[in-house]
Amino acid sequence: MNGKRLIVRVLLGAVVPLAILVVWHLASAGSVVVPSIGAVLDVLLHPLREPPALDATSLASGALISVLRVVCGFGLAALTAVPIGIGVGRSDTVRRLLAPTMAAAMVISPIAWIPVAIIAFGLSSPATAIYGDEAWRYGLLDQVRFAIVAVIWLGAFFPIALNAAAGARGVRDIYIEAARVLGASRRQVLSKIILPGAAPAIVTGLRVGGGIAWRVIIAAEIFPGTRGGLGYMIATAHEQASYEYAFASIIVIGAIGLALDGALRLAARRVSRWQPKER
Amino acid sequence: MAGDAGVIRFEAVSKRYQTPARGEVWALRHLDLLCPAEQLTCVLGPSGCGKTTLLRLAAGLEPPTAGRIGVDGQTVTGPQPGVGLVSQEGALLPWRRVIDDVALGLEISGVSRAERRARGRQAIARVHLPPTVERSLPHELSGGMRQRVALARALCPGPRILLMDEPFASVDEPTRHHLQNELLQVWQTDGQTILFVTHNVEEAVYLADRLIVMTFGRTVADLPVPLPRPRDRLAPAFVDTLLAVRRTFTKHALAGPAAD
Repeated sequence: MNGKRLIVRVLLGAVVPLAILVVWHLASAGSVVVPSIGAVLDVLLHPLREPPALDATSLASGALISVLRVVCGFGLAALTAVPIGIGVGRSDTVRRLLAPTMAAAMVISPIAWIPVAIIAFGLSSPATAIYGDEAWRYGLLDQVRFAIVAVIWLGAFFPIALNAAAGARGVRDIYIEAARVLGASRRQVLSKIILPGAAPAIVTGLRVGGGIAWRVIIAAEIFPGTRGGLGYMIATAHEQASYEYAFASIIVIGAIGLALDGALRLAARRVSRWQPKER
Repeated sequence: MAGDAGVIRFEAVSKRYQTPARGEVWALRHLDLLCPAEQLTCVLGPSGCGKTTLLRLAAGLEPPTAGRIGVDGQTVTGPQPGVGLVSQEGALLPWRRVIDDVALGLEISGVSRAERRARGRQAIARVHLPPTVERSLPHELSGGMRQRVALARALCPGPRILLMDEPFASVDEPTRHHLQNELLQVWQTDGQTILFVTHNVEEAVYLADRLIVMTFGRTVADLPVPLPRPRDRLAPAFVDTLLAVRRTFTKHALAGPAAD
């Protein structure tokens, strides 16, 4: 790419963010609801500061709690959905057993499960499971509430499982037979043929699932009864009219979401290198 | 089956499929076939006559409905060591680089990476591919190159038996002639037993020691090809044999299935 084209590309990409900043600046003048860009920037530049007017921890701590919850829920979803998806994709019996339930469950918004998950798990966390009444001493571990992890798992599970199923089903039998004739065991067929063949679809599922997990966590944290995390900070900032914290949280949510998607996009590119580019 | 080393033997083999559209279909019917050790036997037949099924059964990818198949002295109950298969499409793994695909059989057997590389390179050289292709992906290769890689992959573990399912059907004629000569070179050096399936009469006459004509799931003719090697496609003896085989093939291919 030559220099001129690069400049045009960067400028084009900057048009919308700059327009948003201008509108934001104009909207914040004299407003008590829309904070100034400077006030939000101040919060972002002091991520460890405890918000004086809020019953919430710092922005950095909130982000850490949200990320930790997503890592647990999304990790659990990936660990369960990939093998189940491959089973659905390669076995008629597993498909007949699970496909109708999965088809019905996937259309239900994961947010609808939040009350159910709170009833099922209450305020329990790994800390309450291990340390009981002393759980509060293990703050970060206590923030990984089972209810929230379950809701994230539900949100991320179906796109990952369905993509893994489609990927596994798409692996042609001739590849499997080529490996079998060369002496491959069932485990080798799985590791050397089905998994690499389905990898691009699996990573696409992880990208979609990761995006949903990150959206669901914010909704789950805004839900009454939850404490800690960026969603909780938005809800609290709204109640206390400290809108600069709400705006700063939204920007951090966007940045972390972008980083998560970027990492998964890199992974997708890596595992899809072998696919010829469609023109 | 003592003394059957290197031999492929079909004894009254039948294979039935249940299809949604056509119901019960017999791909093979009471088929007897013998491929002697170290010979190149061609099975010649029209599309749909059961040639591919024959190879799949010999490779142990499917069980017969009835009868018995012996390969290299063993009754076939599944894929067995020492047998290589090259299919019409090549079945190269799209995500593997050529060197890794060629050495797949060695990797499955737990051979070290260094030895896999060395033997993979040897196999690539044997099928006359330049060393530069070893880092290529299958979609970056021409049809002829892909079939050479498929042959290299089958040869790499050093099989005694080679099953070939119309491996050169999808390449142009000059490339097909090159590939046939390369196969003959490998076979004359290694002495594998080759069961080569094709619907191309000229290819069968050029390659085979023995030629078996198959229609409607049965063998209908067993013809020796007593032409000296290397064979000249324009020599009168070759043309005479070709015409004779073509007459036999056409007669049987046009006739309906024999009653049971």
